[in-house]
Amino acid sequence: MAFHHHRRHRYLELDENGDTNNDNHHNHVPNKKPEVSSLISDAELRSEFAHNDQTVARINNGSFGSCPASIIAAQHQWQLRFLRQPDAFYYNDLKPSILRTRTVIKDLINADDVDEISIVDNATTAVAIVLQQTSRAFFEGKFRKGDAAVMLHYAYGAVKKSIEAYVSRAGGHVIEVKMPFPVNSNDEIITEFRKALERGKSKGRKVRLAVIDHITSMPSVVIPVKELVKICRDEGVDQIFVDAAHAIGAIKVDMKDIGADFYTSNLHKWFFCPPSVAFLYCRKSDKQPDLHHPVVSHEYGNGLAMESAWIGTRDYSAQLVVPEVMEFVNRFEGGIDGIRKRNHDKVVEMGEMLVKSWGTNLGSTPDMCSSMVMVGMPACLGISSDSDALNLRTHLRDCFGVEVPIYYRAPKEGEVNPITGYARISHQVYNRIDDYHKFRDAVNNLVNDGLTWDAVNNLVNDIVHISRIETL
Amino acid sequence: MDPPHEDPRVNGDHGNNSRHVPKKPKLSSFITVSDIQEEFAHHQQGVARINNGSFGSCPASVIAAQRRWQLRFLQQPDDFFFNHLQNGIILSRTLIKNLINADFVEEVSMVDNATTASAIVLQHIGRGFAEGRFQKGDVVVMLHCAFQAVKKSIEAYVTRAGGSVIEVQLPFPINSNDEIIAEFRKGLVKGKANGRKVRLAIIDHITSMPCVVIPVGELVKICREEGVDHVFVDAAHAIGSVHVDVKEIGADFYVSNLHKWFFCPPSVAFLYCRKTHISSNLHHPVVSNEYGNGLAIESAWIGTRDYSSQLIVPSVLDFVNRFEGGIEGIRKRNHDAVVEMGKMLAKAWETNLGSPPDMCPGMIMVGLPASLGILSDFDALKLRTHLRDHFSVEVPIHYQAPKDGEVGATDVYGCITGYARISHQVYNTVDDYLKFRDAINQLVHGGFTCQMLPGK
Repeated sequence: MAFHHHRRHRYLELDENGDTNNDNHHNHVPNKKPEVSSLISDAELRSEFAHNDQTVARINNGSFGSCPASIIAAQHQWQLRFLRQPDAFYYNDLKPSILRTRTVIKDLINADDVDEISIVDNATTAVAIVLQQTSRAFFEGKFRKGDAAVMLHYAYGAVKKSIEAYVSRAGGHVIEVKMPFPVNSNDEIITEFRKALERGKSKGRKVRLAVIDHITSMPSVVIPVKELVKICRDEGVDQIFVDAAHAIGAIKVDMKDIGADFYTSNLHKWFFCPPSVAFLYCRKSDKQPDLHHPVVSHEYGNGLAMESAWIGTRDYSAQLVVPEVMEFVNRFEGGIDGIRKRNHDKVVEMGEMLVKSWGTNLGSTPDMCSSMVMVGMPACLGISSDSDALNLRTHLRDCFGVEVPIYYRAPKEGEVNPITGYARISHQVYNRIDDYHKFRDAVNNLVNDGLTWDAVNNLVNDIVHISRIETL
Repeated sequence: MDPPHEDPRVNGDHGNNSRHVPKKPKLSSFITVSDIQEEFAHHQQGVARINNGSFGSCPASVIAAQRRWQLRFLQQPDDFFFNHLQNGIILSRTLIKNLINADFVEEVSMVDNATTASAIVLQHIGRGFAEGRFQKGDVVVMLHCAFQAVKKSIEAYVTRAGGSVIEVQLPFPINSNDEIIAEFRKGLVKGKANGRKVRLAIIDHITSMPCVVIPVGELVKICREEGVDHVFVDAAHAIGSVHVDVKEIGADFYVSNLHKWFFCPPSVAFLYCRKTHISSNLHHPVVSNEYGNGLAIESAWIGTRDYSSQLIVPSVLDFVNRFEGGIEGIRKRNHDAVVEMGKMLAKAWETNLGSPPDMCPGMIMVGLPASLGILSDFDALKLRTHLRDHFSVEVPIHYQAPKDGEVGATDVYGCITGYARISHQVYNTVDDYLKFRDAINQLVHGGFTCQMLPGK
């Protein structure tokens, strides 16, 4: 990203007239796939991600995502447009630009109506929106105290807290679906889910809400959401909310096929958007929707999509670059579908390479993986708690230049020499095989040195104070 | 991991900001006129930008510093998250605490904007109603000209949960604090009628439209005397435009946007919550794994997003301290300049000012000639658009309906029903206001009225 060193515009990327370059940039057709000759080259790809720290084996795209340089540049242009004349931007440009993003998303995810698509900061915000609605229903007597909400045991930490803040606090009863891990088939998940629904409906309760991950975070597994949604419908669950934070760009996403009432996914994880932006899909129904953005502006009452498009003065630029991102992904063979298929194949290949080298196992079958896979860590590392897992992660970052989240899996009674640590490796277009070799060698290094985790723990605890155990 | 493209004149956001002490420079190194032009060269040339109040402004060196923060996240986001983010936010909070004279850094949370802060406070009050701690019909008092987002927030969180609302009518044009205080007392009396309790008073420090500085210290004192449960000061415009001392003001909650008058990029605000047992029950509506760790910690992590505008406060302090007198000097000069320009315009148009100068911050309400025929909110908006599109003047217009039986302010043509809210910030020049003066004169001499503009 070059700076223009013209005297009057020392700091910013403006041309001589102080104009941004991209006033006409947005009249384009986003969904054309290019001919073979204009596919992105290796050199261009490297250049797009040259700002990634090159000394790090960055095999954790799942947590914070990644954004190519051309999208960052596009975002800067949007930011400058606001700074240049914010009133004109607010009155003339902002709303139509957000509508354009919503339309692109609607087509991408096979939704019927653009009214069903709202753009928010992230899945965490989407969860607050849906759960606040549930909370109001309890407080206003629409739901009876004790009516149930069902969620997966591996639901994301923020989602669990949100359920506590908005459902438990309002009198709802929360049921967690136990999930096996390692997991070998969808049937194991479906069986546990059915059991949980039965518990939910016992004692004459109604199940008001089911929150189902499309891809769990830690440990990461693809959940058979379509089947679970169908079971929910059969069992009379009021509302079904799919938390698909990781989904878009990592697996196929089809709203009509999945059939949920609410569905949210982050665009900055696997869809190359800058931090941060997500969509919340809300299926059109006959019932009057009671969804509101928690940050209330003058748009209150004009529908969730309108409310979300103005929540006070802020930087909306991450929400506006989606058309440019479509152009970016269409520089790859097969577009976003091609990208995610290749990511899946590669990450499974790398996972199998690692388990072979370490003598361990994968956490699930390959068909239950997205662009991430759980790889068993050698048992001799002695990972025996969440904080061990976090300390190991820190150690890998600080001493080996490897960025990868580690999951602690508590052993079951009677297990012999169990694998208690799983690394969640990701593959995105910028990754190289060397990244995974680096990880392989780092772990082999630790194993060969006979390090148990106790010894390293003491070292790490002296250096770093860990306050955060959550993995995104 | 030093950020690239370091500009030696700008405070680099080095890895360890804990030793940052914003220093006032010696006389010889104050920012020059040419420096200021360069810092705001990205503003659209040819536009008389006399509306700093709505969306604020951000100098180029601060934008550059923000980009460096954004790049650091992109380079290695996990490392940024685990090792740098929280420290950066604590530093910003500490600098704000010192700026506003708060006692404890726990009292200072960083949020996106005043609109978000209102949701936080009102959700808290709303829960009091929903959970039965407040009686249905207990009251929230607010000013009639409170910002529309605040009014809607009250509807969403308070009215819906069973609370009632009392609006305090403020006269406009206004002549003294006494007029405001008298109306406010009346509002509290209404609120307490029929054995109700006033659970919350929301008081603007500087109203938006029409723009007037409210004597918040006195009103908070009256609230305490009258047994109001909580006082929330919506000071969206305050920091960088009036003196802010939260202990002196004495409210329970106080919010101000840093991107309006304090040169931060969009967007960032601080929400001050006086350390009492109440503040531990406030929550950010976007719940993360930090839920229950206190509002400041909850607000510092609401999921993956761009926190760079919250991290930029040290760079902004460096910027303001390049001016003589720092932020105090800036706001005094803005006030004096905007009053001078307001008087110039009122004289040129033979109209009036909406309030005496001592009730103005860096903005002032200037009466528009009655012949323009501004007869509704929509007329005011149409005129604003017309000024933008045809005269390259950016200025918000307020429609002041004449009160029944009262004449209000007049000029030779009749009632003055339109007021322009002009702002002055460091990048403004006299030409901006002359351009506005001439535009209005041209409209008046051409016999223009708002009825001529299209749209219903």
